[in-house]
Amino acid sequence: MTDLRELTADLHERLAAARRGGTEAARAKHTDRGKLLVRDRVDRLLDPGSPFLELSPLAATGMYGTPGQAGPGADAAVGAPVDAVPSAGIVTGVGQVSGRLCVVVANDATVKGGTYYPLTVKKHLRAQQVAAENHLPCVYLVDSGGAFLPMQDDVFPDREHFGRIFFNQATMSARGIPQIASVMGSCTAGGAYVPAMADESVIVREQGTIFLGGPPLVKAATGEVVTAEELGGGDVHARTSGVVDHLADDDDHALAVVRGIVDTLRPTPPPPWEVRPVEEPLEDPAGLLDVVPAEVRTPYDVREVIRRVVDGSRFQEFKQLYGETLVCGFAHVWGHPVGIVANNGILFSESALKGAHFIELCNQRGIPLVFLQNISGFMVGREYENNGIARDGAKLVTAVACSVVPKFTVVIGGSFGAGNYGMCGRAYDPRFLWMWPNARISVMGGEQAASVLATVRRDGLEARGEDWSAEAEEDFRAPIREQYDAQGSPYYSTARLWDDGVIDPVDTRRVLGMGLAAAAHAPVPSPSYGVFRM
Amino acid sequence: MTIHTLLVANRGEIALRVFRTAARLGLRTVAIHTDLDATAPHVRAADAAVRVESYLDVDAVVAAAVAVGADAVHPGYGFLSERAAFARALEAAGVVLVGPSAEVMDRMGRKDAAREIAVAAGVPVVPTGEDAAYPVLVKAAAGGGGKGMRVVRSAAELEEATAAARREALAAFGDDTMLVEKYVERGRHVEVQVLGDAHGTVLHLFERDCSTQRRHQKVLEEAPAPTLDEATRARVRQAGVDLAAHVGYTGAGTVEFLLDADTGEFYFLEMNTRLQVEHPVSELVARVDGAPVDLVELQLRVAAGEPVGLAQDDLTLVGHAIEARVYAEDAYAGFLPQAGRASLVRWPAATSAAPVAAPAAGPSAGPAAGPAADPRGATVVRVDHALADGQVVSTAFDPMLGKVVVHGPDRESARRALVAALDRTAILGLTTNAGFLRALVASEEFRDATIDTAWLDRHELPRPEESQARVVAAWTQAMLTATGGSGEVGDTGRARPGAGPFHADGFRLGGPPAPQRVGLDRPVVVERAADGLGGAVDGVRVVQLRAEHHTMLLDVDGERLEAVVDARAHEVEVVLRGQRHVFRRPDPAADRGPAAGDGTLVSPMPGTVLDVRVVVGQEVAEGDVLGVVEAMKMELALRAPFAGTVTEVDAVAGRQVALGATLFVVEAAPDAPGTAGTGADSAGTRAPSDGAPSSEEPSSGAHRDGGAR
Repeated sequence: MTDLRELTADLHERLAAARRGGTEAARAKHTDRGKLLVRDRVDRLLDPGSPFLELSPLAATGMYGTPGQAGPGADAAVGAPVDAVPSAGIVTGVGQVSGRLCVVVANDATVKGGTYYPLTVKKHLRAQQVAAENHLPCVYLVDSGGAFLPMQDDVFPDREHFGRIFFNQATMSARGIPQIASVMGSCTAGGAYVPAMADESVIVREQGTIFLGGPPLVKAATGEVVTAEELGGGDVHARTSGVVDHLADDDDHALAVVRGIVDTLRPTPPPPWEVRPVEEPLEDPAGLLDVVPAEVRTPYDVREVIRRVVDGSRFQEFKQLYGETLVCGFAHVWGHPVGIVANNGILFSESALKGAHFIELCNQRGIPLVFLQNISGFMVGREYENNGIARDGAKLVTAVACSVVPKFTVVIGGSFGAGNYGMCGRAYDPRFLWMWPNARISVMGGEQAASVLATVRRDGLEARGEDWSAEAEEDFRAPIREQYDAQGSPYYSTARLWDDGVIDPVDTRRVLGMGLAAAAHAPVPSPSYGVFRM
Repeated sequence: MTIHTLLVANRGEIALRVFRTAARLGLRTVAIHTDLDATAPHVRAADAAVRVESYLDVDAVVAAAVAVGADAVHPGYGFLSERAAFARALEAAGVVLVGPSAEVMDRMGRKDAAREIAVAAGVPVVPTGEDAAYPVLVKAAAGGGGKGMRVVRSAAELEEATAAARREALAAFGDDTMLVEKYVERGRHVEVQVLGDAHGTVLHLFERDCSTQRRHQKVLEEAPAPTLDEATRARVRQAGVDLAAHVGYTGAGTVEFLLDADTGEFYFLEMNTRLQVEHPVSELVARVDGAPVDLVELQLRVAAGEPVGLAQDDLTLVGHAIEARVYAEDAYAGFLPQAGRASLVRWPAATSAAPVAAPAAGPSAGPAAGPAADPRGATVVRVDHALADGQVVSTAFDPMLGKVVVHGPDRESARRALVAALDRTAILGLTTNAGFLRALVASEEFRDATIDTAWLDRHELPRPEESQARVVAAWTQAMLTATGGSGEVGDTGRARPGAGPFHADGFRLGGPPAPQRVGLDRPVVVERAADGLGGAVDGVRVVQLRAEHHTMLLDVDGERLEAVVDARAHEVEVVLRGQRHVFRRPDPAADRGPAAGDGTLVSPMPGTVLDVRVVVGQEVAEGDVLGVVEAMKMELALRAPFAGTVTEVDAVAGRQVALGATLFVVEAAPDAPGTAGTGADSAGTRAPSDGAPSSEEPSSGAHRDGGAR
């Protein structure tokens, strides 16, 4: 039985591996050209000491094999020590540049030349969504060979594929969300539109190149033989084509120019809610690793978590005596007001009604919502169904879906079934969704799924008058359990970008604070709801 | 007579020092000041102040004294302190000068006359003329400060050296009378503090050694002299008393001797008829009933016509005192005078000058067995200065900012305490010699008292290493960035409440904080632990022990460093062990200048080449016009983007050129563009005024002591 401490240590190891980026050889080749590694670029772009809220650093984990056999269908075991496409070959996140919060999107050219795998696209688009929802300027540090050609069908054509990147650039720019690009390496084919679509752009001399078709394609298409630098180097684009606005000498210079550009942006608007002076929790967040059991089936009081997350450990509870399996109440996190909705057991009708009421209060008052999700689902059984638990569950889901205040979800335990919906799962557009390393996510538990499927099968066999031995049933159930076990892992989830990252529970308060600070950049509209089924 | 009102005809630390005693004695104090000094510390310290055009304006100073009803004028040192004309003018105005008579000043002021008096008084003098064997010193009779002086090692050099010295003397003093005397190769400067009254008493307050000099400028002074045997010591002291008695000297004076370190012989140099800069070392060692004497009080007593009230036997010598003079000069850049605003000034805290009693005897003296009240531990720090935060130091006056003086039970304990005191001396905003003094006091040569008067002219101390200061600068800058500080160092360096979740602690998800890259003269990588108290700078382990009020106490790789730091937007200033280090921060927006490869000059417009001014292979400087193109009725000059060599000339005068046509190519000189400036260069350096001291510098030219001041 592992405890939360061990699970967290394992998370740190995975993150450390992902942060290294590409293979040692690829990194050496990259730095030998005078280029900075992608995370060094981000560090130097950001203000000195700026935190960086990196999004989904474990994206694509295990999905494209190990470095030797990368490609479609080369799935490695989840958590393989070395991944072919660590972090999906792209670093995204929120950090401070020239005193302003920005979304940074930076290709890692040491990972398959920075080419776009399906999850690279998804991660790029997710970062743009963060920028769009929170009104944060985008800085693109481009160093990419474009689409990963062997998987073009999963990269190129669909609504949420490569083209959406430029659609987002155009529409965000239209909404006044600045788009800034610095070309620090290749910027080929579709990628060429990143700087071209940007409001203002930079290129590094004799390092950055921008062209729709590279020298090999040009030769194939027209027979023209041309060097990359002549075709689309820094001098060409800064002096002749006008595709970029600034010519930089090296990475550092380019990043300084970008910082200068950000410095000219409009000032940050005031937050849409009152931000108070920050108070540390009275109870040390580090204690979370001791008070929370790693096994999601072990019950504990979620207030132990809340106390270690909120300012001054002060939590003003709402309807404390009613619907006790859902804890609701007001608090502050890093000075930002929040309404917390936290599971403390299975959801009953009362808990759902209480949650819906509380969410309406928060929308009425413009207070952001924080969901601490640890839910095995709504209560089942004749009594509950007959009393209309689905009706009350629908009210909660409606309230969550129609919320206009920013929502933040942290999966601190189980995330099963309709509980995921009522507690603001990914489909309900929380501004950010994070998972703890002990989290489990699936439509139901593996044992339950195996039972349901076994019952259905047994019914079918028995209807045909066939026997089903206990051994045979176990042989049937075991792989289902295994499948649910594997797919319920937070690393399975984060690899597919069902979340914004697996976090150290101790960082929950910090990460929520950063999310709130980001969310405070966008105005909160007036609330309106769909029909609540009464 | 009784003195009620005392005017101090001086400025700076000596004016403050005189005021302190005067205030203690209940006198009304009056300062004089020029416009530059209208709000100077000495003006603020006085009960009243009078503006004068110049501190050297005899008539104005006398008029000021009369106007404020001063009974007496204390001249301090420098300025008018040894001007007989001033003494006469005061006398005529009925104001007492705290000093000897005009007649004595006249007699002792000329080296040739003083020498004759010394001979008459039976005091040994340096052999001169035919008596002196080579090497000899040729020097101006009216001179001082090293001007009009030449060391001559053989008869062959004599004529030319004398002529040169005469020219200098004539220019500096208007008098080219020359003396030739024996030159002592390894000389020590020993001087006797004397005090006489109008009632026939002449005392000595022991001797001082001021051998640590640079170009006849005293740097370190101590009392008693460390190298004398007891017989010589007694003879030197007596010689001082004999000379003072011979001329009927009244007040405090100093008789200077040159001691030949090789033979132990000493020779009279000159007499200074005033209070010396280095008088505090005598005050600290000369005790009456165990208490330090106050020379200014004794001066005032004598000036008032009273007897000194002491006999020689009343004076005892206790312990050892050393003084270090802090100057606004860059000791590691040719001792160039420095000027500027002293943004932060930290003098070591003065410790009580309580008498260091002789070891107390008696069994009940200590709590435990063993020696009680060990006097070895008891050191005293005294700082005489007139420099506070924000004050502007100008080159119009003497560059001495203050004196750090330490007393200890013996020379070694005093020396160590002085090192510690100089470690705590920090002047930011302009460079001082405090780091140099610290290194000098810490040197083996000073420890062993082997520094002769020419040692500093022969030896250069290495500039203190910059690496530790850089660690301190980088760590402090990173701490301030992380805590959102604006320059004032907070109490703990932790994030302040109210700082948002994006406060600059380098937070990274599930990993160590990102190291901060601090741009100084070069980028420095600072890693800070989450609590901000530990970490590393460029891999060197750092523990932050204290950070408050600009003072950083760090453990750097096991060594404890205390430094005063001022971090501003464009530079970080660190004073470590007295030495000021300035690290310029790079300006990311600064024009990097054109990089190599930008040396291709193309036609900016379609037009006609009017002029070609260079040929291939020609060296050009940045901005040189290479050629001229005419287009759209405009003449456009094509200039070299950087210094280098012309490698290509495609332009031909009169020829039409297309837009973008290459006309010239310049290849950069190897080290031409964009070499970053180094850090730690001294700010505010002024060119030396080489031999042209400003008229108000009290110790310059004719007003400077004959030997060292």
